[in-house]
Amino acid sequence: MAMTNSLLSTHGLKKVYGKRDTVFEALKGIDININAGESVAIIGKSGSGKSTLMHLLALLDKPSAGEIRLNGKNTSKLKNRKLNRLRNKEFGFVFQSFFMNANDSVLNNVILPLKIAGIGRRERRRRAMEALKVVELDDKFKNKAKDLSGGQKQRVCIARAIVNNPKVIFADEPTGNLDSATGEKIEKLLFDLNREKGITLIVVTHDEELAQKCKRQIRIADGLVVADEKTKKGAKK
Amino acid sequence: MKVVDIFRDANANLWRSKLRSSLTILAIFVGSFTIILNSAINAGVNDWMNKQIENMGGEGYLEMMPTEAYDTLTNMMGNNGPQEYTEDKDNANASTYIKDEQIEAAKKIDGIKVFNALPNSSADYITSKKTDKRYRINLNLVVEGITFDMSNGVSPNTDKNAGYEIAINEDIAKALGYENVADIVDQTVQIAVPSNLKCYTAIKRSECQTILDVKVSGTQAPGILSMGGSRANLALWTRVNEINYEGMPAETNRSYQATADVDPDKIDSVKAELEKIGLKAMSVDDEVGMFKVFFDAILIVFNIFGGIALVAASIGIINTLFMSVQERTKEIGLDKALGMSNGKVFLSFSAEAIMLGFWGSLFGIVVSMIVGNIANVVALETFLKDFPTFHLTIFEPLTMISIAFIIMFIAFLAGTLPARRASKKNPIDALRYE
Repeated sequence: MAMTNSLLSTHGLKKVYGKRDTVFEALKGIDININAGESVAIIGKSGSGKSTLMHLLALLDKPSAGEIRLNGKNTSKLKNRKLNRLRNKEFGFVFQSFFMNANDSVLNNVILPLKIAGIGRRERRRRAMEALKVVELDDKFKNKAKDLSGGQKQRVCIARAIVNNPKVIFADEPTGNLDSATGEKIEKLLFDLNREKGITLIVVTHDEELAQKCKRQIRIADGLVVADEKTKKGAKK
Repeated sequence: MKVVDIFRDANANLWRSKLRSSLTILAIFVGSFTIILNSAINAGVNDWMNKQIENMGGEGYLEMMPTEAYDTLTNMMGNNGPQEYTEDKDNANASTYIKDEQIEAAKKIDGIKVFNALPNSSADYITSKKTDKRYRINLNLVVEGITFDMSNGVSPNTDKNAGYEIAINEDIAKALGYENVADIVDQTVQIAVPSNLKCYTAIKRSECQTILDVKVSGTQAPGILSMGGSRANLALWTRVNEINYEGMPAETNRSYQATADVDPDKIDSVKAELEKIGLKAMSVDDEVGMFKVFFDAILIVFNIFGGIALVAASIGIINTLFMSVQERTKEIGLDKALGMSNGKVFLSFSAEAIMLGFWGSLFGIVVSMIVGNIANVVALETFLKDFPTFHLTIFEPLTMISIAFIIMFIAFLAGTLPARRASKKNPIDALRYE
């Protein structure tokens, strides 16, 4: 496994929920490798274990067995503080149901990761405005988050995800709550970030169409990888 | 995350549910208001007591009585149940009189500059040429070397060859017809002294009284300490005593009034030594202390009320924050996913508790200062009219700040329970929560 640009890799990754009689094995041994700059779709039906896999890759949860390597380093021995810093600095998150502080302003929502990182007021405001410019919502920075449309909300979330210049964006059903026209805009935004800024994009979805837009699809069923394939040229719509 | 940001956000979060936070703050306010106002009254009383002592002078002045007599007195006041009779202790003479050997022993104690033990002297009344009225009088001896602070005139001359001199309370001076108190200084007043033996057989009290002309050397400002007590010099005291015991055999048991002038630095050790030989000594401070016990008892009761209010308020804080944690489950999950540590999540909820405590005590300080200052004005016009130097409430910044900090700390402690629950939340569960 001497791949020079390996960003995230898993080795015999298992995740078990519950105890004794109610044991449920969500992941049964996953070995994948994601290189820096890739756009990868993790596809599977609900209950397949794809969300569990994403949570583990994003270091939000600990595996029951196996290991996850980030930049070739085993993450299982990292202290909580280091894990928190990694998630804050290296990862960006986009969720299906947005997860925003609805009563707060757009700007404050985007600022959140910077505030957690302990960056000064002026600097974090500048960087948040920059991120909002990327998603073309800089004119709405004063609005309350709850007053935005679904597509705008997801754009704010993307701005929040990129505000710390992350290496990876985890997008969990990013277009699941949006109509197809708005969904396409969001998709374009994410793929542009992948192409232009080289941010690794890991999309978790059951939407075949969205998955095909990624360069690579990893299919999960019953806690195992059933297919791992590159998109054929021309398949993109 | 910076601590400043945590506190700023905590405060903003509080006002998201205005009614709930306001009610919790109100509960804290009740407690802090009570405790702060109490401390201000305490400071006011202490300040006034100190002024009294300063007014009195006589730092090294001690008054003594036999320990048995003191115990009898306190037992009577304290109502300690039936007291067993023993001949030694309860012989009225033995218990109330200072014995010669006690006087001899007392004179040898290190730190006593002057020790005076003179038989008690008592007078019936005081009057002046300016009035027909006669007023009861209670005489105290001014020990050699002691000078009391006078509002007018000087402390009585303690030389044994001096003329009869007395210092009286301003109230008495007014009652004797001197509207302008200063005018009585160096004037002559009349004191009626009974001859005890004659009085047993006299039909009218006036038949056994001798009237003495006495010079008023000075007046004392009204206060708890000088209340009623007039201060006689040695010459007057000796003469009054002669009249009191006129015709009685010299070996008659006489109760002594013992006083001493003591080096102020050694006052505690002198008191301990006197205690050993069976004499209970009281300094000016002690007398003030006895008076203060009553104030303290009242303040303790009010402080208990304040404390109970704070306990209730703490439960309010716990409740408020538990609701807040529940409502913000998703938010906590997001914060954690974005890299916020458990410690910071804990701190952010603790900060909310501390802010509740902060606002509660801030309002407590502001409102108690308003109420306290109004009370000062009202008190000086009504029940404290005669004590112009008595400020009922004094607000000391340091005390108020410490109380505020203690309340914020209590709020923090109350907040630890909900804050712990928040910090233990799993980000994935929290994000799934809809």
